[in-house]
Amino acid sequence: MMDHRVVSDNGLASKPGGCTIDVRLPWYRALPLSTVRLEAVEIDGETIDPARVSFELEGEKLRPADLAARTDKWWYVLDSAFVHVDGKETPKGTSHDVAVTISFRPPYIMGLNRIVRTAKTLVAQ
Amino acid sequence: MTDSTSGLKLGTTLYSMTPAFHGREYTFEQLVRKVAAENLGPGLEVVGFQSIKGFPVVTDEYAGWFKDLIAETGLTLSCLGINADIRIDPDKPMSDDESVTYHERQLEAAAKLGFPLVRYQYPAGPAVIERLAPAAERLGVKMGLEIHAPHHTQHPDVLAYREMYERVGSPMLGFIPDFGASARAVPPSFFEAQRENGIPEDLITLAQEFWHQEGDPYARRERYIAAAREKGYPDREIMSLVIIFGLFSRAAPESWAEIMHQVIHIHGKFFDFDDNGDEIAVDYARVLPVFVKGGYSGFMSSEYEGHMWNDADGFDKIRRHHAMANRFMAEAA
Repeated sequence: MMDHRVVSDNGLASKPGGCTIDVRLPWYRALPLSTVRLEAVEIDGETIDPARVSFELEGEKLRPADLAARTDKWWYVLDSAFVHVDGKETPKGTSHDVAVTISFRPPYIMGLNRIVRTAKTLVAQ
Repeated sequence: MTDSTSGLKLGTTLYSMTPAFHGREYTFEQLVRKVAAENLGPGLEVVGFQSIKGFPVVTDEYAGWFKDLIAETGLTLSCLGINADIRIDPDKPMSDDESVTYHERQLEAAAKLGFPLVRYQYPAGPAVIERLAPAAERLGVKMGLEIHAPHHTQHPDVLAYREMYERVGSPMLGFIPDFGASARAVPPSFFEAQRENGIPEDLITLAQEFWHQEGDPYARRERYIAAAREKGYPDREIMSLVIIFGLFSRAAPESWAEIMHQVIHIHGKFFDFDDNGDEIAVDYARVLPVFVKGGYSGFMSSEYEGHMWNDADGFDKIRRHHAMANRFMAEAA
């Protein structure tokens, strides 16, 4: 079951001027980023403006809107991606409600658009 | 239990252990070693895009490591799952030329890793697969179309492949029945998961009624949706049950006999067992003799898929599946 796997356990990290969330692809196999969307990031009930969000995979930082063009970049199932949120500070040791919604269209299943939202209460590392 | 060179042989697909792998509880190597140590082979099936980062690119170094690992464990590579990813660009499906190239790279990876056959998917289309037959012959890798619910041997999509196979006459082209296509019930654990999500019992009963009716599954799905809306259920609840019409279907187990001479591998799909150790959704006492008596020679991968809705231990499930399969095969022999 993948519903609880988008946000990793212990996946919230405090960063100067913001925070980072460790996220996983909620599917059994690797997919190209062109089939994946970062739909929403919520922290403590606030939906974060996408302009303040970036998506990092294998050291490359992308704007959420840039994923659609990346037919060449694949998200492997064992790799974490990192969602960086600017301007939302989560000091180390404090507890926060974190939810991330990812959708994807498996490129071999016509018409399927899978939407998975994982919400967890995490203590910032 | 079975002759080691012919007849129906057992095996495991690592797809069954998706939660443990995804959850980083076991590496690929640890899964392979555990399958061997627990005698859940001898067949070993792998999904390329799951088990191998960067697939279908396979370096010489990786291929060497992979083959050494398999040799050391004594397992036999049975099947590599490949994918018809024709919508990598969701707005612009691959051309046939691009799809041929995309599939050929996966066939080459299969050959390099030592797999005797691949599982391919129907969105590839008969025209693309026909063009790949020479590559399959050159590489010595057979190609099997997975017949997965809601498909069945007489479905128009499958008939198109059967006609192409007849015309081309290549020994490298075959079929891979998935037993979810010849189920007798929806797995009880699926509905248990839905109950835990607050889906009402009466709605589950309604969905089951339509699932058990005759006719095209997608037409039945539409009738179920209409009936549930008429009763006033919210769409969120109604839609949480619609996947039963695509994941499990009710072809007669005996219908597999039509294509028996072209069956090159089996997906022994399964979910839940009753107190006697029998699978509840798939009638193995009925379907296995079709293959044993039909003279099938090859592997059946135990393919547990309940992980779509729960995190049950895949190894425990496969142990039970092998015990059950051995029992029914002994009876059928």
